Amino acid sequence: MDDFEELRRLLLSTEQDDLRALHGRLDDPERRAREVSSVLPQAAKLSSARNGELSRALQPVVGDSVRESIKSKPQFFIEAFHPIIGPIVRRSIAESLRGLMQSLNRSLEHTFSWQGLKWRLEAWRTGRSFAEVVLLRSLVYRVEQIFLIHRETSLLLLHVSADAKGGDDSDMIASMLSAIQDFTRDSFQVTGALENFRIGELEVWIRPGRDAYLAATIRGEAPVELRTALDETLESAHTLHGSALAAFTGDAAAFEPLRPELEACLHAQYKQTDAATARTTKAYLAVGAAAAMLVAAGLVFLRAERRWNDFLHHLSAEPGIALTNTRRGWFSASQVAGLRDPLAADPGPLARKAGIDPQRIRFDWKQYLALDATSLRRRFEQRFGVPAGAAVAVAGRALEVSGSAPYEWLETVRQGWPQIPGIDSLSERAVQVTFNPELVLARFRTAFPPPPEVTARVDGETLHLSGKAAYEWIAPVREGATRLPGIAALDDREVKVAFDPALVLQRFESRFGLPDSVNAGVADGVLTVAGEASHAWLTRVRKGATTVPGITTLNESQLVDLDQTAFTQSKSVIENAFIYFLVAKVNFATEGFAALSRLPDEIRRCQTAAKRLGGDINVEIRGSTDAVGNAAKNLELSTGRANAVQDFLVSCGLEAAMFKTVPLPVRADPAGAAKPVHEEADRRVSFHIQLQQ
Amino acid sequence: MIQKKICLLGGHAVGKTSLVAQFVRKKYADTYHTTIGVKVDKKVITAGATEVSLMIWDLAGEDDFGPAEVSYLRGASGYLLVLDGTRRASLERALAVQQRAEEKNGALPFIVLVNKVDLAAEWELGDEDFSELAARGWTLHRTSAKTGEFVEAAFQALAEEMLRRP
Repeated sequence: MDDFEELRRLLLSTEQDDLRALHGRLDDPERRAREVSSVLPQAAKLSSARNGELSRALQPVVGDSVRESIKSKPQFFIEAFHPIIGPIVRRSIAESLRGLMQSLNRSLEHTFSWQGLKWRLEAWRTGRSFAEVVLLRSLVYRVEQIFLIHRETSLLLLHVSADAKGGDDSDMIASMLSAIQDFTRDSFQVTGALENFRIGELEVWIRPGRDAYLAATIRGEAPVELRTALDETLESAHTLHGSALAAFTGDAAAFEPLRPELEACLHAQYKQTDAATARTTKAYLAVGAAAAMLVAAGLVFLRAERRWNDFLHHLSAEPGIALTNTRRGWFSASQVAGLRDPLAADPGPLARKAGIDPQRIRFDWKQYLALDATSLRRRFEQRFGVPAGAAVAVAGRALEVSGSAPYEWLETVRQGWPQIPGIDSLSERAVQVTFNPELVLARFRTAFPPPPEVTARVDGETLHLSGKAAYEWIAPVREGATRLPGIAALDDREVKVAFDPALVLQRFESRFGLPDSVNAGVADGVLTVAGEASHAWLTRVRKGATTVPGITTLNESQLVDLDQTAFTQSKSVIENAFIYFLVAKVNFATEGFAALSRLPDEIRRCQTAAKRLGGDINVEIRGSTDAVGNAAKNLELSTGRANAVQDFLVSCGLEAAMFKTVPLPVRADPAGAAKPVHEEADRRVSFHIQLQQ
Repeated sequence: MIQKKICLLGGHAVGKTSLVAQFVRKKYADTYHTTIGVKVDKKVITAGATEVSLMIWDLAGEDDFGPAEVSYLRGASGYLLVLDGTRRASLERALAVQQRAEEKNGALPFIVLVNKVDLAAEWELGDEDFSELAARGWTLHRTSAKTGEFVEAAFQALAEEMLRRP
């Protein structure tokens, strides 16, 4: 055994060493990595120069790696993409705009051209949309659907479509495509595959592969390059998912990552027309026209909006109008709703003034009574009017009239203003009332219908009367004419007043009364009274008779003053009574006492009469003696006798105050008498009565 | 979702197309149209917890003018072998078709459907025929494309059988 080993060592020692070294290289992962890293760039370069297999193989790995990196370190990618994100977005927008412009171009071209009309007709005829017809007719070709089909099971692995629709039966179509291929192969006993067939406008291309094949439905005439693209995609699918294809048992989810590649094959090409510049011009013109229309519409809109706002502004500022709801109708009638005072301005002219046709506005007013100053004034003016020269103002809810205003108008206002809603008070301090003479005269005539002989006229504010009038008419006129509005003074100097005697007498009687013992009569202003009357009555008549209208003079010559007569008679009785005394005594003589005893009643009668005459009486009790005896004794006697009488009278109940005792001097002897004699007639007391007023 | 291709095999006029129509669209028409080549239909069912999209290939029946084209069977996960209980000839044809199918595509799960059970009184096939088939280890079901009897269950049974296989 050792020999054999030895022999081996001798023969194969170099190879064994090499082998060991190789093993060492292969078993050391670090070393292997180093070695691979030295050749990897070169290998990658060679591989990518040959075909895209390496890139395709690396795609999922790189994709996963990038996805993972973004997830774990987003900031790194944000910083990396930041400088280029702007240009990318700009370019993307520019591309979209260009696409939009092209599509607009196409639409315009087809909308306004003869061909466009034809296509519209076709769309109408076939029931397709116009866009669809345009697309189909202006199409060179379009790959509409691509199916990736598993060769062995005929099951669909992946399907992409240019339209959103058209994917529902994709799996059945895939199976039928397989069946058709089997059928043709069996029918014609050939080994090759069916590569393409045409159904109407559709052509189906089938690109065979080892485990799967691609079927593309194409509208129009596709170029040969499409075939290459499809082949490359199919090849890529085999490269990336070869094992999955071989082991496919019905779950197609594994092939979803191929969708972008398949979608990239949904090529389409449209017919080009020569007039590219013309199209651009058309497009610009159309865009310009649209912009101009937009601007014009905007201006119209703005103007209409401004007018509407102006109108609403003026309308809401209008007194007596309160807006509650407004709606601008652009294509239908506009609406304005609110409250409106019956006297408020008509909104129609306001609308017209703002440049809006009132016919295009539907007004919906609810009536109300506005209380603002203007509306109140309008309401007042509507009711009463305002005469020239007068002015009416409303402050708050107070009405103020100023200027000059006719009396009649003012009177109506005074009567009627409380019935105007919203007005609380009326002030006419500043108003100057004017009177129409004719109306003043008419009012006078109504108040005091004048007799035909009277002429009346009003001048200024003075009523002039002339002619002949009964006292009974003129009297109330004098009393009341100046109380009539417009008459400040009365001039009746030219009126001759006529008195009816009976009425004059009646007035006299009603004023003074007429005692039964008196007869009265009036003739030519003279009142004649006859008969008897008390002094008091007479006194009143004397004093006042001529103040009775129609009595200018009093004739009382035939009238007896009863009280005066009574007084005179009584006075005479008393003054003719003598109370005689005894000689040299203060004692009454018998006849003297008889006379004295009658006196108290007479004095009382006299006093009563005097009082009726408005006065009282003073009674002088005059005592006297005969001439016999000395003077002093006689004076004593006289005084004593007068006192005796007074004492008696007072003792009869008469007032002492009315009495005055006066001792008369001794009567001088009659001439020629030798010596004094006892003259009985001188031993007496006499009386003198004075009427005191 | 998993897709499975299944086929219907059998003699002509045994009711394959009617079975598919009953299964997929719940419809039955008394009029007979012969199938030329193949007609594909689809129905999604749930077998166990799995949604299965069945791609049903309805193949032209075998008749005196030519054999059934079993090449369509390629890639199928299973098939239904259909007989007509009223015609003994359909049994022989079915056996022949099955044999060719197996030769060409290997052993696939399949279920034998003895159709037209609504005409049971007129059946030419009897229990001994069925027990002979059962002796081969085949699963048999009596179905009626007309009334729908056991049609859905047959497809369901086949789908579950297919899913059991790796």
